[in-house]
Amino acid sequence: MATFHLQIVTPDRMIFDGQVERFVARTAGGDVCILAKHIDYAAPLGVGQAHIVDENGKTRTAACNSGLLTVYNGEAMVMATTFEWSDEIDRDRAERSRQAAEEALKALKREDVEYAVNSAKLKRAIARINAAE
Amino acid sequence: MKDIKLRIRSVESTMQITKAMQLVATSKLRRAKERMENSKPYGKIAREAISAAVARCEDPNIPFLTPREGNRRCYVVIAGERGLAGGYNSNIFKALDAHAGDADYCVLPIGRKAIDKYQRMHKELLEDTQARVEGASVDDCYRMAGMLAEGYEAGRFDEVYLVYTSFRTMMDQEAKVEQLLPIQKAHLPEDATPVSTVYELEPAETLRRVVPDYLAGKLYSSICDSFASEVSMRRNAMDSATKNADAMISDLRLKFNRARQGAITQEITEIVAGAEE
Repeated sequence: MATFHLQIVTPDRMIFDGQVERFVARTAGGDVCILAKHIDYAAPLGVGQAHIVDENGKTRTAACNSGLLTVYNGEAMVMATTFEWSDEIDRDRAERSRQAAEEALKALKREDVEYAVNSAKLKRAIARINAAE
Repeated sequence: MKDIKLRIRSVESTMQITKAMQLVATSKLRRAKERMENSKPYGKIAREAISAAVARCEDPNIPFLTPREGNRRCYVVIAGERGLAGGYNSNIFKALDAHAGDADYCVLPIGRKAIDKYQRMHKELLEDTQARVEGASVDDCYRMAGMLAEGYEAGRFDEVYLVYTSFRTMMDQEAKVEQLLPIQKAHLPEDATPVSTVYELEPAETLRRVVPDYLAGKLYSSICDSFASEVSMRRNAMDSATKNADAMISDLRLKFNRARQGAITQEITEIVAGAEE
């Protein structure tokens, strides 16, 4: 299959730089799949799973959290707040933070400021757990 | 003679300290450089990604990109926590003074030295708690970036500049002033068949969500850059201090030996003179 150039960066390092067949991520408008020769595109990223299919047809899954996905002249760039490959995720830690967030949410009301913080935490933890599986 | 002996001893103990500081800086330098290298790609790619995202946007008023009328400035100043690093801190402050001229500005200081300096000058500080540079985390940067984006959108300042030290080589570091907001577009390759860009959300909304991330990444990489510069400048400063102390000690030793030799010669002359009589 045709491939295209994809770069993924987070503030602390370059995560990926190479040719891929496919890139899938959760954007603010839902899951989006980018293939070669995609039209120019821009979307803020949400919290969720992402995966790539590299030039050898191998799939790699990751948990991706916030940022921007752009395609320009057939090249894709992803700047993410965090982007962790499934084999780098600490499942126990994600599980613990999911439980902590759930506990915290039980005690809070929807209109509390803390509610949004904790539900974002819960979302991230769930995305990590799903990606790690 | 006693004076010289005392001085030698005091220079020796100073040398021990500078040598220890040099060793500490050397060992920190490797990690700092590694962190700096890793944090570099984000700023470049993020700026390209943002420029690409708005490259064909028709809206003339994109937040964070379109320059505004006002000229109230905010400077983000990254300095060190301690001195004894050659001209590290004073270069930063000089660079800011040269850039700001007479204009009034507020400051977001990072590092103890920056906080102290602008508190003394009675500048308006956005925050005076970010004293750590060495262990500054990505989270700290997100918090500060959120503050900057909010202040900019609320119109508390119209331009944001970053003053930091750029690490070029071990011997060459330069204090730099860089414009953070409004974002200056990266130069993109012109494409042959201009087509319109597809947006998941409105371009303005996209930017509103993404710019704080960009700022955070930029702050993080500049902090890493500055810290690597600080450590290598401290290493160099301590290296030359140690060398100076060494030169001073050998100079003093020479003086001491001469004085001792002089005293012995005099004594012998006196004894010999006494025996002859």
